[in-house]
Amino acid sequence: MHKDDLEKLLRDTLQQEVSKERHYLDGLEKTIVAELTGRLPRRGWLQTLTQLFAQMQRSHRRQLAVIGITAVIFLFLGIFISERLPLFRGLFSAYDKQHTTTITADSDGGQLLFVMPAPGAQTVAVVGSFNDWKPTLLTDEDEDGIWLTNLSLAPGRYEYAFVVDGRWWGQDPLADEYVRSFGGYNSVRYVGYTGDNI
Amino acid sequence: MYRVQDEVNLLRASLSGEVEAWGEIVSRYKEAIFGLCVGFLRNHPDAEDISHDTFIRAYENLHRYHMEKRFSTWIFTIASNLCRNRLRYRRRHPIVPLPVQMEGGCSPAITIAQEDRQAQIRQGLSRLPYRYRAPITLRYYNDLSYHQIARILSLPEGTIKTHIHRGKALLRQEIGKMEVVNHA
Repeated sequence: MHKDDLEKLLRDTLQQEVSKERHYLDGLEKTIVAELTGRLPRRGWLQTLTQLFAQMQRSHRRQLAVIGITAVIFLFLGIFISERLPLFRGLFSAYDKQHTTTITADSDGGQLLFVMPAPGAQTVAVVGSFNDWKPTLLTDEDEDGIWLTNLSLAPGRYEYAFVVDGRWWGQDPLADEYVRSFGGYNSVRYVGYTGDNI
Repeated sequence: MYRVQDEVNLLRASLSGEVEAWGEIVSRYKEAIFGLCVGFLRNHPDAEDISHDTFIRAYENLHRYHMEKRFSTWIFTIASNLCRNRLRYRRRHPIVPLPVQMEGGCSPAITIAQEDRQAQIRQGLSRLPYRYRAPITLRYYNDLSYHQIARILSLPEGTIKTHIHRGKALLRQEIGKMEVVNHA
């Protein structure tokens, strides 16, 4: 069969097939119109908001703007208060929750564990406000590269840093916070407080 | 009432909830959509169902249609997707064909002998795999360009050309086989 013959035959066949079965389509528009009467096409959320806003009276728009601005102010105020007031601290952010847990776990009974991973180091010491910045040596008895010492401290806030083979390591991952000092960082931990009291 | 208005106006009116405008769109496109469904599904009741569903679905989702694009491509895409879904459903729930005698025909051999070339084409199309039948329908019934077909079926233009070419070759083979049976 020639190429053009097949194409013509295909066109004719499909068209005849549809025209023979056209009765299926009788009144389709009426059925659909009847089915859709009273229904609106769905809208995207942006379109819905835009339309709602457009339909509002001017005074209502102003009211909505005032409500929106007030809500934003309260939101920022809430965040600010949650950061400042101990009562709210940790309620709003997951970070704060973790933070609180760490402090409570470390600070029970005034015992503070200092841990420093330093495989291959010769000496590791901790210096801080609790020892007048004089080195207290950490030990690695099982030689796994994890150096540690446990100190009994009175309740309070302590700044400290590690000294690994003479190098300053001011950012302890277990610290409650960090402070800048002389161009570097020092770690800070609290002893004898629960998270809520900080 | 709407005959003189252009398609975009009809669509805008439909979007604002004028269902009569949508009715005009339906009457303009129903034959094209039905033909597409018949070509894809090779089953008239299913084609009728899907044509109906296509217009309902298109109306409900009219906000997704971009007025600057071609409406036919958009609505053909909806119809094509619905057809594909129906074919998947039919694979799990096949229609039990009625015995030939109940349809009012005689033995298959005599029926084939009485068929003309168009009947051979119809049978051949029914036997073609969907991936060939769909672009052939869009090309030869809906008169669409390769580019439009590619957009509707979400396939590269080159693939569409290949599928149409292979589909036609298979169709020729099928018709050849039927002619041999008829002459035997």
